Amino acid sequence: MDLLPQLLIAGVVIGSVYALAALGFVLIYKSSRVINFAHGQIIATGAFIAFALTQKGVNFWLAGLIAMLATFLLGMLIERVFLRRMVGEPIIAVIMVTIGLSSVIDGLIHLTPYGAGTFGFERPALLTGQGIELFGLPLSKTQIAGVLMALGLLGGFTYFFNKSTLGITMRAVADDQMAAMSVGTSVERVFALAWAAAGLTAAAAGVILGLMSGLTLGGLAGIGLKVFPVVILGGLDSVVGAIVGGMLIGILENLSAGYLDGIVPGGGTREVFPFIILIIVLLIRPYGLFGTKEIERV
Amino acid sequence: MKKTLILSALVSLSFAAAQKTVTLPWSGAITGPTSDAGASYAAGVEDYCKYANSQKMLPGITLNCVIRDDQYNNANTQRNFEDFVANLNAPVFLGYATGGALQLKSVIQETKIPTLTASYHIGIIDAPDNTYTFLPVSSYSENIVALLEYVAKKERGAKVALVVNPSPFGRDPVVDARKAAERLGLKITDVQEVGGNNLDNTALLKRLEAQGAKYIINQNTAGPVANILKDAKRLGLLGKMQFMGAHYTGGEDLTKLAGDAAKDFIWATSYYLYDEATQPGIILAKKIGAQFKRAADTIRSVHYTSGMMASAIAIEAMKRAGANPDAAGVYKGLISMNGSRAFNPGFAVGPVTFSARDHIGAESLRLLQADATGNFKAITGAQRSAMFQLVHPMK
Amino acid sequence: MPASRFTQTGNYRTKYQQDQTIFATYAEQLSLIVLIGLLLLLPLILPKTMLRDVNMIMIYAVAVIGLNITTGYTGLINIGQAAFMGVGAYATALAATRLNLPFFLAIPIGGLAGALVGTFVGLPSLRLKYLYLAVATLAFQIIFEWGVGHTPLLAQGGAISLPQVQVLGVKATFFNHNFVWYYLILPVLVVMGLLWRNVLRTKHGRSLIAVRDNDRAAAAMGINPGTAKIMAFMIGSFYAGIAGGLFAYFQKAVVIEDYGLHISIQLLAMAIVGGLGSLPGSFLGPLFIVALDRIVGSGSQWLGSLNIFPAGVDAATALRPLSFGLAIVLFLMFEPRGLANWWRLSRLYFKKWPYKF
Repeated sequence: MDLLPQLLIAGVVIGSVYALAALGFVLIYKSSRVINFAHGQIIATGAFIAFALTQKGVNFWLAGLIAMLATFLLGMLIERVFLRRMVGEPIIAVIMVTIGLSSVIDGLIHLTPYGAGTFGFERPALLTGQGIELFGLPLSKTQIAGVLMALGLLGGFTYFFNKSTLGITMRAVADDQMAAMSVGTSVERVFALAWAAAGLTAAAAGVILGLMSGLTLGGLAGIGLKVFPVVILGGLDSVVGAIVGGMLIGILENLSAGYLDGIVPGGGTREVFPFIILIIVLLIRPYGLFGTKEIERV
Repeated sequence: MKKTLILSALVSLSFAAAQKTVTLPWSGAITGPTSDAGASYAAGVEDYCKYANSQKMLPGITLNCVIRDDQYNNANTQRNFEDFVANLNAPVFLGYATGGALQLKSVIQETKIPTLTASYHIGIIDAPDNTYTFLPVSSYSENIVALLEYVAKKERGAKVALVVNPSPFGRDPVVDARKAAERLGLKITDVQEVGGNNLDNTALLKRLEAQGAKYIINQNTAGPVANILKDAKRLGLLGKMQFMGAHYTGGEDLTKLAGDAAKDFIWATSYYLYDEATQPGIILAKKIGAQFKRAADTIRSVHYTSGMMASAIAIEAMKRAGANPDAAGVYKGLISMNGSRAFNPGFAVGPVTFSARDHIGAESLRLLQADATGNFKAITGAQRSAMFQLVHPMK
Repeated sequence: MPASRFTQTGNYRTKYQQDQTIFATYAEQLSLIVLIGLLLLLPLILPKTMLRDVNMIMIYAVAVIGLNITTGYTGLINIGQAAFMGVGAYATALAATRLNLPFFLAIPIGGLAGALVGTFVGLPSLRLKYLYLAVATLAFQIIFEWGVGHTPLLAQGGAISLPQVQVLGVKATFFNHNFVWYYLILPVLVVMGLLWRNVLRTKHGRSLIAVRDNDRAAAAMGINPGTAKIMAFMIGSFYAGIAGGLFAYFQKAVVIEDYGLHISIQLLAMAIVGGLGSLPGSFLGPLFIVALDRIVGSGSQWLGSLNIFPAGVDAATALRPLSFGLAIVLFLMFEPRGLANWWRLSRLYFKKWPYKF
């Protein structure tokens, strides 16, 4: 039976969304050391903005772009209104602000018609029709397009991070805030940009997931939790780690659903398997596969 | 001002002397998880209760229809129950969720308050503490065993997989399903748990396919089932696998979510549907819905009918309890519903029968199948599951 | 020494020993005794449904003291306190139903089970900084919920009913349940509060705060930060376990939904609103959040009845997460020391009254 290659492919498909979601998370952590517990809610916000626009008759691609722009601004807004005031507070206070924010955004989404229920994008004309079959696994055009879009964005961001001046500035701030400030970098601007970029990639992840499999608040916000195993495995501050970690978690999750579920009575192991990996990684290699080995043992 | 207050107090006092007030309380999820079903259910309970008042169904008694939101939170359900029983002297309790009902069982036993819930979980009426708990219609377990019987008739030795919700609500029927499958000569290849956020079911479906499972029986809410159906459609499995499910998986909820992927889904339920316009129960539900100006969507919902069913059973039991319906009287009224005294409000496909042993109301159920537009049409008549009584004898 | 040990208008302490006393003045001691005395009379005047809320506040307060120990005093974010409560609740339920132990043994067993699991979950703290621990506790919360759902012994998350208790010949029934449990929970809460107040005076208690404020400096002073963190987890989850055991009996049955992620967030909200690292805050926070929940609950019912929102919008469901989230965010931004700070300020005012300065 060719179950294995099929599971691997399905893992890469969902893994590319995880990678994209994790990218934004890592950008924030890398620049400001904040663990963002509201990431899943930002993903949901982006996806539902795009969905609301398509409901109003806006073209899917345009709606996706507007949604990305909107969460770009949302990220900036969150940084400006909530987090900049917290500069100088202990980092755990900042992290708990993001926990609070996740609840607030949850509540706000419930104020729209999208809080409860399942929704699906109307497929754009380009993506209708028969997809392809890989190792006996039918892949729809939306899935292929989703993976391509995710990979494109991931590649673009990695390039930007490595080559552009802004990207280098962001890395400089991440490396040593004090030193970056002393050479005239505006740390605040970098923080704002990190949040904005995180918002943008979050919306992209949400829209792609919505296109591939549908939109539910719980499912989209749940990606925000799935991000944790991804970034811990890949390394909290590594862009490459986010991409590799995302793919790996996607694949491992599908393998567990494919094989472990048959052994464990009741199954449903995909819900918990990534978190078991998370604990194991924390115990063995807490800086992950690609993270900076800077965790002092205190 | 003061005078009018005293006056109105006097008036209401004299009114109370003539007209006894009895509380008919419901506690369930109008908001929070599952509130899409809960809100319609609450409307059904409330409207039938008010309708009973407007029709003076209980001579000399005015019903105080109390509808309380518990947000699907067990602590709130308990607080509501305490308030209903200790402060409002309610002789009966209409509940909602599985977890809340299971948690209340010992208290129900202690206070002897007859209870009817919207959850048709067989554990609610299983021992221990089951003297006063009743299900209005057939249980999820019976739904699923009936589906298994249908499969066995269609194909001997067929391979069946169960996909259930990761909660007591989903897991409970598995034991009975396994027993029934064994007796029916069916092979259960797998039991899998799938919850609300199952956006990608490729691995699940591919594995079920690899096992050769041809019949997939669901015990879940409509959302997860719809997601599975959509993925099955994409993977081209809809023709190869027959999807089926218990009461809360199907109906309009499923059609709305799954669209054309719901085609051919087989659904087991005890209720009549909105489109069966000639059924007296549906005619009544439409009339009451119009009387209390409910939205068309609410009236269409099978949960609206279900709420009325629970309300109607409770009110009928009060009626049988006579001029002074207390908990003991309502209990007696309930268990008197059998033989020639069975109660048939018309919402379900069979009459409601209770006795000291039998705590399942309308045991009869039908299987319905969705057509291309997602409308469910009956493919069997009203029937009881013979096998269920063998695998799960009551008491 | 001040002129009188009853009134004190300033800080007259000259020795470390004086700094370590539980009560600064006799007046403080007296006011606590009076407060407890008043609390003992509370059920006689309170309506029954409100007594239920008070019981919940007290149980959550026990769990919040525990959360404060890990998060407030030691600085380790814990997003799994409800799961530790759940561990205690299930251990208590098993002890009561399988071993037929009476409640006064079953509840401490819940506490011990909580402490045991907490120590285990805290183990990564030997290697990790606080940030990573937050993620570890989140993972534990998710694994716990899944694990219970897959364990037949724990009814797979369904209800395990607990027997009604009998205290001093009084059998708890439906009608006196809240009343009886009020008098069982209150002493537990007082003892647990005083216990922590005492631990805080010892070198172990102070070592936790030292680790929170600067772990390297603490290490330089000879404190082992790893041990201190594990200890914080152990004590914190002991409190959670006790709270879980109480909650199991109080709710009459253990059901997994009572110990989910949203409850963990709610407990965190209580700790933050009350004031992280403050004992009075551990009482004020639960009081505030449960009261807020009540108000939001009735408010949402009223909102729903207005029908001002378009069909499909469930405004009532929105209000709960919105209000909790806002409470967390606003308190962290504008009053990071929480309600406990207001409490402190008002006490300060009355201490010096009628003099302004």
